[in-house]
Amino acid sequence: MAKVPVQFTLNGSEKAEFVESGATLLDVLRDKIGDTSPKAGCRQGTCGSCSVIVDGELRLSCLTLAETCEGASIVTTAGLAEGGVLHPLQRAFMDAFATQCGFCTPGMIMAAKALLDRNPDPSRDEVVEAIAGNICRCTGYEPIIEAVLSAARSNSISAA
Amino acid sequence: MTAASGFSVLRPATLAEAVAAAAMPGAVPIGGATALQLDWAAGAARPGLLVDLTRCAALSGSGVEPDGGLRIGAAARLAALEHDPHAAAGAPLLLAALRSVAAPPIRTRATLGGNIAGRTGCLIPALLALDAALVLASAAGERTVPLAAWLAAPPAAGEIVVAVLLPKPSPRRVETARKIGRRAAFTPSVIGVAASLDIGPDGRIGAARLAVGGGPNRPRRLAESEALLVGCDVGAADWHALRGALLEEIDAADDGWRSRSYRRRVAAHAIVAGLGGAFPPHPGPLPAGGERGQGRALPVKGVRAEDRAIPLPLAGEGRVRALPEEVEVSHRSLGDRWRIRPDVQAKVEGGFRYLTEHRAPDMLIGRILRAGRPHARIRAIDVGAAEALPGVRAVVTAADVKGENAFGIVVQDQPALAADRVRFAGEPVAALAAVDAATAERALSLIRVDYEDLPVVTDPEAALAEDAPRVHEGGNLLTDLHFVRGDLAGAWEGCAHIVEATYLTPRQMHGFMETEGGFARPELDGGLSVFAGGQYALRDRMQLARILGLPEEKIRVVTSPTGGAFGGKDELTVQPALALLALKSGRPVRLQLDRAESVLSGWKRHPMTIRMRTGCDAAGRLVAQQVDVVADAGAYASLGPGVLETALEHACGPYGIPHVETRGRLVYTNNGLCGAFRGFGANQMTYAIECQIGRLAERAGLDPFEMRRRALRRPGTPGYLGQTVGPSERLDEMLAAAEASALWAAPRGLSGDGAMITGIGFAMNYQGTGLGSIPPDPGGGRLALAPDGKIEAAFGFDEMGQGALAMIQAVVAGALGCDRDDVRPIVGDTALTPESGSTTAARATFVAWKTARTAGPALAADLVAAAALRLGRDPADLAVAPGGIRDRRANDAAPLIGFAELAASLDPLPQASAAFEFPKTDYTRGNARFLFISGATLARVAIDRVTGMVRVTDIEQHAAAGPIVDPAGYLGQIEGGAVQGLGFTLTEDMRTSGGVFLEKNLDQYLMPSIADAPERMTTFALEDLDPGDPFGPRGVGELGIGAVTPAIAAAIADATGLWPATTPIAPEAVLDALEGAG
Ligand code: FES
Ligand code: FES
Repeated sequence: MAKVPVQFTLNGSEKAEFVESGATLLDVLRDKIGDTSPKAGCRQGTCGSCSVIVDGELRLSCLTLAETCEGASIVTTAGLAEGGVLHPLQRAFMDAFATQCGFCTPGMIMAAKALLDRNPDPSRDEVVEAIAGNICRCTGYEPIIEAVLSAARSNSISAA
Repeated sequence: MTAASGFSVLRPATLAEAVAAAAMPGAVPIGGATALQLDWAAGAARPGLLVDLTRCAALSGSGVEPDGGLRIGAAARLAALEHDPHAAAGAPLLLAALRSVAAPPIRTRATLGGNIAGRTGCLIPALLALDAALVLASAAGERTVPLAAWLAAPPAAGEIVVAVLLPKPSPRRVETARKIGRRAAFTPSVIGVAASLDIGPDGRIGAARLAVGGGPNRPRRLAESEALLVGCDVGAADWHALRGALLEEIDAADDGWRSRSYRRRVAAHAIVAGLGGAFPPHPGPLPAGGERGQGRALPVKGVRAEDRAIPLPLAGEGRVRALPEEVEVSHRSLGDRWRIRPDVQAKVEGGFRYLTEHRAPDMLIGRILRAGRPHARIRAIDVGAAEALPGVRAVVTAADVKGENAFGIVVQDQPALAADRVRFAGEPVAALAAVDAATAERALSLIRVDYEDLPVVTDPEAALAEDAPRVHEGGNLLTDLHFVRGDLAGAWEGCAHIVEATYLTPRQMHGFMETEGGFARPELDGGLSVFAGGQYALRDRMQLARILGLPEEKIRVVTSPTGGAFGGKDELTVQPALALLALKSGRPVRLQLDRAESVLSGWKRHPMTIRMRTGCDAAGRLVAQQVDVVADAGAYASLGPGVLETALEHACGPYGIPHVETRGRLVYTNNGLCGAFRGFGANQMTYAIECQIGRLAERAGLDPFEMRRRALRRPGTPGYLGQTVGPSERLDEMLAAAEASALWAAPRGLSGDGAMITGIGFAMNYQGTGLGSIPPDPGGGRLALAPDGKIEAAFGFDEMGQGALAMIQAVVAGALGCDRDDVRPIVGDTALTPESGSTTAARATFVAWKTARTAGPALAADLVAAAALRLGRDPADLAVAPGGIRDRRANDAAPLIGFAELAASLDPLPQASAAFEFPKTDYTRGNARFLFISGATLARVAIDRVTGMVRVTDIEQHAAAGPIVDPAGYLGQIEGGAVQGLGFTLTEDMRTSGGVFLEKNLDQYLMPSIADAPERMTTFALEDLDPGDPFGPRGVGELGIGAVTPAIAAAIADATGLWPATTPIAPEAVLDALEGAG
């Protein structure tokens, strides 16, 4: 199988990999680079657990070919904390018990981040719409909605 | 798109290159490629060459054409279009439709051209209504074709969609677009509709474009219905006639999830209602409000049901608690008791390691070969070619099973690897381990199994016939349970009202997000370690020892942490294959099921047919009940007998009925596997009995509270089977709480715009905890001071996400007097943790609490004595405190000596253990529970009059399960259980045909999305116990799901008069009820 060189930044650090043509970003992140924060819940675009942000855009890494990420800037949940300080969303997920088994959490946080990055003060409905692609079987979703809204509030407080 | 799928991708930059590439043999043009996996899973051929059109400049951009029309490049991403100013101005209908396509992370990639090219896209109806044309390119050149014409012609090979042209919209128009799905968001299309009417200056309809499509339905314009509208005054259109014409003209597919006639009907309703016409006719008086005015032209409506106004249930933000003694379980109201769970930081940081994520340099990858056919004799298995493949390190079959090739928690009827017969399609036949995934996959395809198919047993009732084909030699009847009390035959005469109904419940899938998997490695001493998510490590070890023919001491089993279980990891899953492969290869082996394999092979909830006949006297007092349950056991027993028994134990719910007879039969079929699932049979039965009571109340002319007040069992009386029941029953209180609930008093009836009918329902919740009086139900744990000064609290049960670790910290810190952070919980590891029993039946909370109460004081005394010796103080002056041992009388809580310092000075380190049986009754004629928890659940639903779909807007739960140990975990169990129950009630069922599951993955098996979850969930707890009740906190892991289904059913009955007896509840049945056709 042909290998394709690809370079991108992952959470700010440069990565250069030879990937199989046709390999998904999910597999490359998890198996080659060792960032296991994106999870493989279905590998077919129906659960959201593999969500990452590519060039500012929410993407399902199981539907993204690694080779198409040349030059891209990729953010995963593993790269959110800065200098040991958790991102407000991570903090809010902890506080609200929005994480039970945690398997959906990194994808949820990515979807929420993509929302807050473009809409810092979302309504509840906007949160629901933004996270509609992410399945959680444990929480019943309510604490996740609360966490995202409270992260938005804490953002706006710290920005004020 | 796994690495093994092997294709190459071309990315042409110009249209000429794109056309040339698309013409290459085997080439498939792609846009966002978001549906490829789904197509492949559905059996589409995998192409050798993908042509990615999204980099092609000619396909990008959007703009206004000289004639005022809109041109949108086919490569436009849907998410970008949502914010495209040209589209917003020129095609608001398209924007409305866009929001219904898949979900946001799909829309960032999916393209307009991609949505069109497959001819099944959800945007096609809107584009047809907008009179779109396509610009197409091929080697023959470019052409522009109306979309409707393009759809009517067969696809032309090698032609690509370049752009979509939308004519300039007429200045005055009425439009609508709506996708009807199977859940509230991120749903496959049942059918999609769109309509656009151009209105002339005289108010007459100049042109009408009506369209349907989406999913399996052929997309097309509806010319005859359109003709009916043209020339009419938009304010006086004959909507009734239009509905009739639409019903005639719309053709729809029947894919098994929704009938053709349902699709037709909702499409017609959606067009008429969306254009401002009347809602479907409703028999009898409408509950409240009024019909929407005829023929009122509305602005473009959003496509989601949520956009429609529903009256809010409660005024203002504040919620009144229902009983003064209850607490609202929420972060807000219990902030001082709210704690952060110890394992959460790693989870939100993305660094948490699940057992499926461990890697070692020499680790092999395991795969399992599954039968792929529901019932067959194995004539021969040939693994020679697979074994010979370079890179394959071990292949195992039944011949490699050294011990007993049989396992099962209750009866050992299931082979680790099939020997001579397969009984369900997911049955493991062989397993192999190879150096990488690609080799493993190839090797799997090289194993040859010669099968002789056997008749498939699919219907449990038919399987009971004498001459039915047998799944097991001993016959298909696995369990047959009877219970009789009183004189049923004579009792019916005394009944003034009798309700008889048959309730059907679904084959629900656990749907844990982390699929089954883990790793195993051989140990130097000839033993083996197996790390795989589970719910009872000691029992997994016992079962593995039996299969492997190894002594239990040679095996270490680690079962925590795992990414969700809900009962689905209670029985063995991948452990036998992992263990056999590690032993044979002599190397560590990892293995994780992909989702499709998990769906195929995993445990499910037992579908039940519950026939119930219940009678009361003229005063509404329950007199008699007869229950007959037939449950589908699937191919092997696992915990099925226990599930059935638990269901029957809850046959009368919390009600005293003098004359009863129950029968339950559990029947083997070839319909996959069924096993433990949160609720364990009780929630199925609660659904049936609570609906019966609700129906009887209607017959008897009593409100549902009064009916229950007359029927509730009295505390302290014998239980349903006649057993002694434990203290602190709180049924009367739960009933009172529900009756006083503000939600019960919330508005119901028609929404302001007439689009929804709301109803409110209520059900009691009553559940036994623990395993019952017959099976061993050991509990216990160990507390010890560790060398680093942590208090280690070791329990054999598991952290599956529910918050066991936080719960352990809470009870141990509470018993010792130390801080929660001083406690280090250790769970689910046979090498490190003692016998605590299984992580099921809501028993872990009690086990930990009781251990802390029993062993805690002993450990505290040891710690204090050791500190006293060290400090030269009187032990009576000292006490355990956060961080260490302090002076009991000092105001300052700071420890005199820290735990770490104390530990450093001690050898051996103090520890204390507890071992006990879970509280039981002495009743042994049947399996009976002793400790029952109670609750009440209210649900409010909004039913869409166009689709019959039920939206649960509110769930309010009241729970009485003793003191709350950890509020966050408690709430998480109640809310998580509620939404899982909502799925059971409305969307989830693993349907079978000929012993094969029709749902293969999460695109078809629909668990609730975030948009399906209730808008408001509220939980109240009554924490008090009877004086002297020694049993402390009860677990609530199964309470949240317990009564959600009957509460929703009652709410539907409130709104429509229909008591749905089949779950998941079909929107078609609700629509029938709404329209009086039922
Ligand atoms: S793994 Fe990507 S969406 Fe499920
Ligand atoms: S926390 Fe388990 S799936 Fe969301």
